Amino acid sequence: MTLALYRIDDRLIHGQVVLGWGQPLDAAFIVLVDDAIAGSEWERELYRMAVPPGMAVFFHAAAECPAVLARYRADPRPGILLTAGVAAMRAVVDAGGVSAVNVGGIHHRADRRQRLRYVFLSPAEEQELREIAARGPVVTAQDVPSARPVPLDELLHLEAAS
Amino acid sequence: MTAPAAAAGPPRLPARIRAAILLRMLAIQGSWNYETLLGNGVAFCLEPALRALPGGVHTPAFRTAMARESRYFNAHPYLAAFAVGALARAELDGEPADRIERFRTALCGPLGSVGDRLVWAGWLPLTSLAALALFGWGAAAAIVVLTFLVLYNAGHVALLVWGLETGWRQGMHVAAGLGHPVLRRGPTVVGRAAAFVAGVAIPLALARVAGRERVLVGEMLLGALVGAVIVVRAQARLEGWRFALLVVSAVVLLSVIR
Amino acid sequence: MIAADAVAVALLGGVTGLDTVSFPQAMISRPIVAATLGGALAGAPAQGLLVGAVLELIALETLPVGASRYPEWGSASTVAGAIYGAAPPATVGALMAAVFGALIVAWIGGWTMVKLRQRNAATARRHQAALDAGSRGAVVGVQLSGLAADFARGAVLAAAAYVALVPLEAILVGRWAVSEHLTRAVLVATAAAVAVGAMWKLFHATAWARWVFLGGLALGLLMVGAR
Repeated sequence: MTLALYRIDDRLIHGQVVLGWGQPLDAAFIVLVDDAIAGSEWERELYRMAVPPGMAVFFHAAAECPAVLARYRADPRPGILLTAGVAAMRAVVDAGGVSAVNVGGIHHRADRRQRLRYVFLSPAEEQELREIAARGPVVTAQDVPSARPVPLDELLHLEAAS
Repeated sequence: MTAPAAAAGPPRLPARIRAAILLRMLAIQGSWNYETLLGNGVAFCLEPALRALPGGVHTPAFRTAMARESRYFNAHPYLAAFAVGALARAELDGEPADRIERFRTALCGPLGSVGDRLVWAGWLPLTSLAALALFGWGAAAAIVVLTFLVLYNAGHVALLVWGLETGWRQGMHVAAGLGHPVLRRGPTVVGRAAAFVAGVAIPLALARVAGRERVLVGEMLLGALVGAVIVVRAQARLEGWRFALLVVSAVVLLSVIR
Repeated sequence: MIAADAVAVALLGGVTGLDTVSFPQAMISRPIVAATLGGALAGAPAQGLLVGAVLELIALETLPVGASRYPEWGSASTVAGAIYGAAPPATVGALMAAVFGALIVAWIGGWTMVKLRQRNAATARRHQAALDAGSRGAVVGVQLSGLAADFARGAVLAAAAYVALVPLEAILVGRWAVSEHLTRAVLVATAAAVAVGAMWKLFHATAWARWVFLGGLALGLLMVGAR
């Protein structure tokens, strides 16, 4: 197995990730790529509390991805890679080896427009998602496994759909 | 960055304010929406505590805190009590705004993840299955319903009270409180208990639904086995209730067009 | 007569619909409670409990996790309990018809919750300036508005479902051509499949849970045999 899911979700580790995706994927570890959290001990401590016993969580800054991702991909157990935003996921994709990116939750902000009930995007984020897709990975929006994956082209043409 | 040191011997949250917050915690999801999620609910719950800010409700400090606390927040609604307690303490201690905002953001994931595993995937199925076992054993409707409600809400209210108290006492050091064995190992222990009760409850409940005659037992078992395999194999694409709707719709259709 | 009953069902459906997420999440919205209360409205809590137990087995896998969309069991189960409670005992097809109605209403209820959440967002946007200014009146007002809207949502849904399902159930029961034994067998097998699937989804990753489940199953089967 390898990193089975590359997910953008500003809530990072929460129920949809641990239960919704973690259980069907049998995920054994989570790789959390976030510059601020990687540099903050008390935030790392909080996120360690978010995973069940037996599930490991690793923290990295985006700049470390080229050096560390191969190690996680070589792990025989399934894992999930999380970023809070599009920019960090782009750094992950730039490191290579990503075949699909899941947009799982990007929430409201003044400069963002609603695309799905759980996806709000700014023009800059839309452009970055297009650039990620142009590098090869299939980009879809899907909050939980039982929901329909919404392709990027469709996502960017949706207006506040349900 | 490190969290600020907690003041020695935190002031006690007055009982009247604690009661007001706990009552409001029951409605924390009252304005749940896809933009700020629980955000407005957190401000709604914190408001009784923020009234204790120096100068009361007509000050810039109160308004700034209310505005900050009504922004995006996401957590399990019961475990949000930890956040409400900790944020009340942080606001009344006058912690810097940027630190409160970082802290607030960092609480979302753990409180969501732990709460979902402990309550939605643990305590709720456990108590629900206990009620189903009672039903299957032949208990009267009032006994089944009251047992479930008392059992479930004992855990519900205990989590709210404990969370608020722990959050208030530990403030921005609440990560230590989240490391409590109830939250760390609780989901596993409750999950195992629920698995056991499920084993007892499911056959008992189904036997009562099937009735006393016990006909077509082999067909029922075979159907259940095949159906369970379909539900498990298709779990990423087909939720169980949709499977049930498909089967029930087909039977209804076949039955009335024959 | 239906109109008077519908008012009672609407009030109870409003309360159980509100309980699903908004207030107080005391789980009176769970099918085993809501359907029993619905049955009690019709003077038959035991029949309400029966349909509630079937729906509870189906609802076991529903995790109200975050922003995901899920069936709204509260109002739906209230209606199912009221309808099945009003049917004469041992009416062939009535239980299946009530479960069928509940599943449809729960599905629609999930959609109405999405609409409610969109409406709550619009309300918050209308008060954005006041919220940004830290107005306690705006915070409390947005919260109370959401609570009232959710109660209304559950009440309207329950009333509409009741009015639609009472005649539908009469039609289905009148034309029901499958034997009661076979009908019950399909219902039991379906509920069992979903419940066992739910248990597997919830606990397969928990160490020892499958063995503990099998131990419980052995005990449960012994108890069934002993009765």
